[in-house]
Amino acid sequence: MHDPDADDVAKAGQGDRAAAARLISRHAPKLLTVARRMLGAQAEAEDAVQEVFLRLWTHAARWQPGKAKFETWLYRVMLNQCYDRLRRRQAAPLEAAEEIADEAALPDAGLDEGMLGREIGQALEALPERQKAAILLCHFRELGNVEAAEIMGISVEALESLLARGRRSLRSRLEHLKGFVGDPS
Amino acid sequence: MTDKNSERDFTDRALSRLPQPALSPRLEAALMAGYDAWNAERKKGVRAAVKAGLRRFTETIWPGAPIWVPASALAAALLVGAGLGAALPAAMAGEQSGFSLEQPESFTLFASDTAQEEDL
Repeated sequence: MHDPDADDVAKAGQGDRAAAARLISRHAPKLLTVARRMLGAQAEAEDAVQEVFLRLWTHAARWQPGKAKFETWLYRVMLNQCYDRLRRRQAAPLEAAEEIADEAALPDAGLDEGMLGREIGQALEALPERQKAAILLCHFRELGNVEAAEIMGISVEALESLLARGRRSLRSRLEHLKGFVGDPS
Repeated sequence: MTDKNSERDFTDRALSRLPQPALSPRLEAALMAGYDAWNAERKKGVRAAVKAGLRRFTETIWPGAPIWVPASALAAALLVGAGLGAALPAAMAGEQSGFSLEQPESFTLFASDTAQEEDL
């Protein structure tokens, strides 16, 4: 199994700055997207991504290619970061509520698109965390069920069940936006 | 289309309407700064490990002495070794060439060889 990141991880672990930059440009945008949707707040998502990369650097020198696919490991760390932050937020709900960013405040989002995005984002955020993670991994990472299940540490059947429940729940929450999202044929 | 498929289709279309957060130059710089900080720590760690290894080594060969004592002993040994290495081969070469000028065995051998040839 060829891991396209293995060389860069090994080089970054030995102090190669260019290899580290390549890993960042290859993975940070997608990690940020998943974190942003998991956590809802841009600033917190950025913190989580930084935390994940710090963990990556400390593990890079000891990385053993062939043991696990790098990207699988990276997304597992990302998800655990998000779960930890969501749990901390549950413990201190008021502080976290102040940090939640407005969806419409994202750059390049038009007014209507912004409102639509906010509604969809809120519906997604309201999902239980594991359903949300399953949907995000399969949609934004375009991962197959096997890889997404591996990242989440669950069986493929369990993942499919999470996906089915999550999609059903999302659809019922967004029923009123069917005209904007587009009718399912 | 089954319910499952229509739900998947609806979810995919809904999620594709979400704006994608962009990786800002500020975050990219912060990520690289994180790498640089880690790398600096790592280098410090390597230097500290080399120092500790050297200290253990000197402690083994000359316990209790400051590092300059075994270092001076090593330097002196190297100088003596280099001096001997340069001087001895020249001296030995001189001795060997003097010996080869007077090789009585070679004459004896030659003489005996001639005698043997005559016998034959």
